[in-house]
Amino acid sequence: MTTSETFILELTDQQLWTGIRNGDEQAYTLIFERYHRTLYNYGSKLSGNSAIVEDAVQEVFIDVWRLRSTLTENVTSVKFYLYRALRRRIHVASDKFPITEELTMLPDWEMPYTYANSETLLIQHESNSMISRRIQEVLSQLPERQIEVITLRYFDDFSVEEIAGIMGINEKSVRNLIYKAITSFRQTPQHFLVSVLILCLLVIF
Amino acid sequence: MKHDPYSLTELIRNDDFIAWVRKPDEKNEIRWRQFLQNNPRKKETVESARRYIIFMGEDTGKSQPTSEQSEKMWKAVERHLRGEEEVKDEEIVEEETEPEPGRVISGWRWARIAASTALIAGMTSFSYWYYVNQAAREHGKDFQIAGVSRDLIERSNNTDKPMLVLLPDGSSVVLEPESSLRYEKSMNAQTRETVLKGKAFFEIVKDAKRPFLVYSYGLATKVLGTSFSVDAPENGKEIKVEVTTGKVSVFSVDELTGTDNKVNSGELKGFILNPTEKVAFSREAGTFTRSVEKVTIAEGERDISKQAFVFDETPVSEVFETLEKAYNIQIMYNESLMGDCPLNATLIGQPIHEKLSVICNALDAQFEIQNNQVKITGLGCK
Repeated sequence: MTTSETFILELTDQQLWTGIRNGDEQAYTLIFERYHRTLYNYGSKLSGNSAIVEDAVQEVFIDVWRLRSTLTENVTSVKFYLYRALRRRIHVASDKFPITEELTMLPDWEMPYTYANSETLLIQHESNSMISRRIQEVLSQLPERQIEVITLRYFDDFSVEEIAGIMGINEKSVRNLIYKAITSFRQTPQHFLVSVLILCLLVIF
Repeated sequence: MKHDPYSLTELIRNDDFIAWVRKPDEKNEIRWRQFLQNNPRKKETVESARRYIIFMGEDTGKSQPTSEQSEKMWKAVERHLRGEEEVKDEEIVEEETEPEPGRVISGWRWARIAASTALIAGMTSFSYWYYVNQAAREHGKDFQIAGVSRDLIERSNNTDKPMLVLLPDGSSVVLEPESSLRYEKSMNAQTRETVLKGKAFFEIVKDAKRPFLVYSYGLATKVLGTSFSVDAPENGKEIKVEVTTGKVSVFSVDELTGTDNKVNSGELKGFILNPTEKVAFSREAGTFTRSVEKVTIAEGERDISKQAFVFDETPVSEVFETLEKAYNIQIMYNESLMGDCPLNATLIGQPIHEKLSVICNALDAQFEIQNNQVKITGLGCK
């Protein structure tokens, strides 16, 4: 799935990585500038405590510089390396500060037996604003690990294989989490129907 | 029930489909266009799936740090970068309060300061520094390898009056309060590069071989020799460029992120501005809004960018007064000797250096300029 575009980007990251290994502070600055925002974004899905996320992002970058001479020469993806490091950091930090939401390891979701009705239940003839609102609503209610997977897949553009590597689970589990999240979208219309029914009842009586 | 691999749910999680939506390339474009042609019934499903993917990306990407948080994180990281230089680093961030000779900053710090600027601006694209410096690297000027530092000067105006900045190439800049400008100490590279935060009026010495560039957040302004003003407020959404004389091209810095440095080659598409035109650049959207509204150049105007500097039999004392006000400088001369000499000149668009040269030539006088002080010596016209 490597497009020519990602290939060029990879090369540049790679060049910067080599620069960092050689002590080039400019390369380091650029890597920070390129990734600290999306890393923070990802981190905030893992911890609701922004101070922990900020610290973790900082520490990931500080470590890169501190350990620059020992960094692997051919890191497959700098971005992957940073994300995986951030996830570990936040997990360690969250143990230190139990105030934050507990990061329980949920059992991997089993693939549902049937695909029945998934097509019909996801309403297709919707306006952009309706889809956008629905997505917002559903995502805000998803379990943490599903949100994490959706962020990595649809915002950070990691492959399923990379996500498995970042989260330390197998690819099948990643796919299941994605599937589970997507199928959540069909719940909302039912809520909507229920509220319409209630409204009708209210009007009748 | 028969399983449809192209149902909405399936499309949303199809790797190749996601790739087409998020990072379209020639191959997946052909593949999915073909699919749509063969399955016209699927058009709506494809459209919905596309939107789900786009909106999921948008929604999960909303937790990015504020520019204050970015700044805070960078400061923490920077402190570890070079522990021993910690104190000096703090100093650079501090601004100068008086127009003393500029602070010299070596190359590597330059990149970091530029990064801080970018952080403040919340820019997403920063690659241009890399490529601009890449060009310098190819010429063997790399500070890391060659050990030669590209010395940079930073000037900040923390006063409440405009401040004159004289550039090494003879160009002059009138820096407005709460603005800062960075430039190379020697300015002898192929491009004359400056970084502006805030507002300034530029009068640039003509040099067709070495374009003059002003970077301000997401915008780059390129000129060969002319006068113009750039207004890039730190917290503003828009950056404004106004041209007084000559032609100026402006472009989004994103255009500089190509694989090679296009600044010199003239390949850069740029947005050409003619005299007295202005353009506003939206930092958030990365788009230009060209204004047809003409900049008026009026006599008796206080703003330097709107002054015509037309002198017709004007006593030199008056000419000097105009210049003193426009550039916020002090001109010292023997008033009884020269004050009444009449002057005919149109000095619009010329750097202060050139303006003074023209005047002194007419007066058969010499001048010396240092910071905001000008000393003129001559015997007068009588």
